[in-house]
Amino acid sequence: MAAQRAGAAAALPANRRHRGLPRAVPRRAEPSRAEPGAAVMAAAIRRLLRAGGRRGAALVAAAGGPGSQTLRLIYTTTAAWKKNVAASGPEKYTEAFIKKQIEEFNLGKRHLANMMGEDPETFTQEDIDRAIAYLFPSGLFDKRARPMMKHPTEIFPEQRKIQWGEDGRPFHFLFYTGKQSYYSLMHDTYEKLLNVQKHQDQLAAQDLPPQKEKKNLVGSRWLTKTELEEMLLEKLSDDDYSRFIQLLQKLVMMPCGNIEENYIKKFSREISAQLQKVVIEPLKYDEQGVAFSTGEGARKTSRATVTVYDNGTGKITVNGIDVLHYFPVLQDREQLLFPFQFLDRVGKHDMVCTVSGGGRSSQAGAIRLASAKALRSFVTEKEVESMRQAGLLTVDPRVKERKKPGQEGARRKFTWKKR
Amino acid sequence: MAAPSAAGLGRRLRAWLPRLTQVRWTRYNPSFLEPEVNKELYRKPWDELSEEEKEKQELRALQPIKAAPPSVSCSVFSDPMISKFTNMMMKNGNKVLARSLMAQTLEAIKRKQLEKYHKAPEDEKEKIECNPYIIFHQALKNCQPIIGLSNITKGGKTYQVPVPLKDNRKRFLAMKWLITECRENKHRRMLMPEKLSQELLLAFNNEGPIIKKKHVLHKMAEANRAYAHFRWW
Repeated sequence: MAAQRAGAAAALPANRRHRGLPRAVPRRAEPSRAEPGAAVMAAAIRRLLRAGGRRGAALVAAAGGPGSQTLRLIYTTTAAWKKNVAASGPEKYTEAFIKKQIEEFNLGKRHLANMMGEDPETFTQEDIDRAIAYLFPSGLFDKRARPMMKHPTEIFPEQRKIQWGEDGRPFHFLFYTGKQSYYSLMHDTYEKLLNVQKHQDQLAAQDLPPQKEKKNLVGSRWLTKTELEEMLLEKLSDDDYSRFIQLLQKLVMMPCGNIEENYIKKFSREISAQLQKVVIEPLKYDEQGVAFSTGEGARKTSRATVTVYDNGTGKITVNGIDVLHYFPVLQDREQLLFPFQFLDRVGKHDMVCTVSGGGRSSQAGAIRLASAKALRSFVTEKEVESMRQAGLLTVDPRVKERKKPGQEGARRKFTWKKR
Repeated sequence: MAAPSAAGLGRRLRAWLPRLTQVRWTRYNPSFLEPEVNKELYRKPWDELSEEEKEKQELRALQPIKAAPPSVSCSVFSDPMISKFTNMMMKNGNKVLARSLMAQTLEAIKRKQLEKYHKAPEDEKEKIECNPYIIFHQALKNCQPIIGLSNITKGGKTYQVPVPLKDNRKRFLAMKWLITECRENKHRRMLMPEKLSQELLLAFNNEGPIIKKKHVLHKMAEANRAYAHFRWW
């Protein structure tokens, strides 16, 4: 009877077969250790199955009692073996796999260096990028679609290790909340808050004034939501994120918040002073010895170039036409005068502009930006900074919002009809 | 519909939502601060600034600043209240017309006040206010209600509950009443500047239909005092 059943087993290709993981037990990353005796038996029966038979059969381990496993034959269809791609979530990589990838990458790096005739020891990532771009030229538009060779930690996203042990019991006490890192973070931060309160109470009990050295929040910002998600390796909702930031701010605002400075530092980043990178061009002089400076500006689809001359009477020419004729609307002329009025230089400069594209308001805005940029060369650094703080030197990023499918315009929806 | 499509486009635009989820988003990064256009503030030497102002200055020195909008300028003629009122008067985006109507209104106020000034005897001449901007601001202030009514449904019935109003809301209501009054209760041939100047002068003297409307609202709120405890905010 057993031989007949064994004879009926299918000669399926090896990969469709049961791999040695007992099917009745839930899937895990590491195979659970079956009893050695049962494994031997399983191997023997598997050999028999592979030898003969047509219909699909599988070997199932059933817990026959404590410490022993009996093996039963069940008949399944291919549908049961099909991998549920949607339910498995993002691809999970084992540590061994990542290690292997890193070894392969390092080896490949040395080969590439040899190929390019460079020294394998001092071959940096930039050299790799250049070599790949040379060997595999690609005209694809999206940079991320082109061939790339990067360290595996940059390619494979960092994933969490398995959060439960062999017995199925999770390691972290907040595992069953679903967001264990987030809640444990809130828990720790609140603990720090209570610490600070206790410290404050102690100081108050000893009648000492609370410490007033507040950490300077000026040059720092909190972590963004994406950065926090990367840190916790867990998805956060906006509400969760804002709650966490509120708690951090409460901690910082307390008088004795300096005690927990180390903890808070983990969640704040420096805002680098990116604003000092702008180089102001020096003044140029034309044939008559008059100082002038040029500037370019843009707003929506308008582009403007402006030359501001010194020793002027406040005359403004746009595209060869006088400003009163080109901009009949008062608001546009106010905008053109804005930078000059701000610096108290209204009748002192002449301006010659060329502008194209856009409508009347956007052309005026483009000329305003261009003239503000040109005036930087005439003016002290402090005044440039005050111009920046008045919003004269920032490019306005607002453009027309695109129309979306299923809606009539960018925001307007189609008329709702009940039937 | 706006939220999912915004999320798709917004990744490039870095739409970070600070408080509880908002559907509005801007092209600016949320770290950008509002521009400060008043040039007197920048002329002040460092020592005269108070502690708060110094901190604010330091913060602004490191943060990027948004571009100044086209309706704002540092000239003495640009006034935020008047810009707001002009925008509310504007129909179909016709800012040119709205601005010209506003200018004509202010001119009409000035003319009327000057007429009164020249006709008045010497001792009363000082009391007549000729500056149209001052008249406009005072009239709006006089029209602002202090307390408003809000519809709260409790136990199936909707009650009108007296509720304190925020500053923005007060200003908005005053301007809205003014504009609706001028659009509706006038003779067909009368033009907007004339009617508006009339209403503003009446409001400046605490008379007129808008002040009456404000008083009616206050009386209703007083009458519904009993339901004040329905408010939970």
